[in-house]
Amino acid sequence: MEEKVLEILEEYCEEALDYEGDNMMEEGVIDSFTVINVVSELEDAFDIEIDAKYVVAENFRNKEAIIELVARLLEE
Amino acid sequence: METDFRRVVIIGYGKATGEILKYTADRRADYGYTPEFIEHEPHALSVTKQICEERGIPFASMPDKRELGGYLDEIQEKTLIVSASNNFLFPAVLVERENITIINFHNALLPDYPGRNAPSWVIYRGEVQTGITWHYVTAGVDEGNIIIQKSCEIGPDTKAYELTETLMDLAYEGFCECFDGVLQENAVARPQGFSPERRMYRSSEIPGDGFLDVKEPPEKLYCLLRSVDYGKSGIFPPLQMEVSGKRAEILRYRKVAPEKKKEGADMLYLPFADGELLKIKYRLL
Repeated sequence: MEEKVLEILEEYCEEALDYEGDNMMEEGVIDSFTVINVVSELEDAFDIEIDAKYVVAENFRNKEAIIELVARLLEE
Repeated sequence: METDFRRVVIIGYGKATGEILKYTADRRADYGYTPEFIEHEPHALSVTKQICEERGIPFASMPDKRELGGYLDEIQEKTLIVSASNNFLFPAVLVERENITIINFHNALLPDYPGRNAPSWVIYRGEVQTGITWHYVTAGVDEGNIIIQKSCEIGPDTKAYELTETLMDLAYEGFCECFDGVLQENAVARPQGFSPERRMYRSSEIPGDGFLDVKEPPEKLYCLLRSVDYGKSGIFPPLQMEVSGKRAEILRYRKVAPEKKKEGADMLYLPFADGELLKIKYRLL
């Protein structure tokens, strides 16, 4: 699962792979349009629905947070 | 550089607004105006507050339109209001004040597609080109004189959010080109020519009336799906369709190659004329 998430990030936001901080959106590593693309790809890749309430900066603060979000949704 | 404007108030949200905010802040030393930002429509992914904090720009959140109207009404100094990705309609009494100048960017090539959600309507109507317009604001919606326009192509797979992103970039580009002229009050602006067929798009309108008729050609369905696709922003409710006599809500869609077809629950594959498939994932209501 992690590998697939990283693959998607690599396609839409390569910088996110090397980012070590906690604030991707505020630091301009990822913008809201890239988030839309990433969310769409994640939903399709994992056949999950990422409700709008999860599409917040906190869940996209770094790659680990995105992986954690997907893991949580897969468990539901 | 000289300007009589003492304040520049930016109202809006999103990527273009953030870039315009930074640009305006960075140019203040050239002119001596005081910039400020008002958030009228909070957005979950907005970074404008952070930009304000980094650049020492006053930030205020005023989601209530009466509060915002009241605040703007009290402005006494000569002020430029920059309306960027902003749906607040400025009251006529404010627009007509001598000390207030308002410029707005509209995400279409005015006089075409005035009103709301222009990126959706240009995709839905099959346009191959669109753009942005910076214009002076008058009492009428999207009617003011045009300061600058920038255009772009619409591709056969362009989704509403992708087009919006392109338009945001053009909006920023256009703003940088016209800002000095607006501040120095020597921008050459031309009146719009209105045709009798001019049609205002309202926020309550949804392309296809929000319904996907699977009996229509997949090319047309794909166009509708793309036209309302803003990701999770909730600009439009999910499209609905009928499956085996039951109402369903569309969760997502994708154009896929035939070899990528995977059978699954609540999934529909419709063939395009070129052999590719329109994959639609739905949920029965």
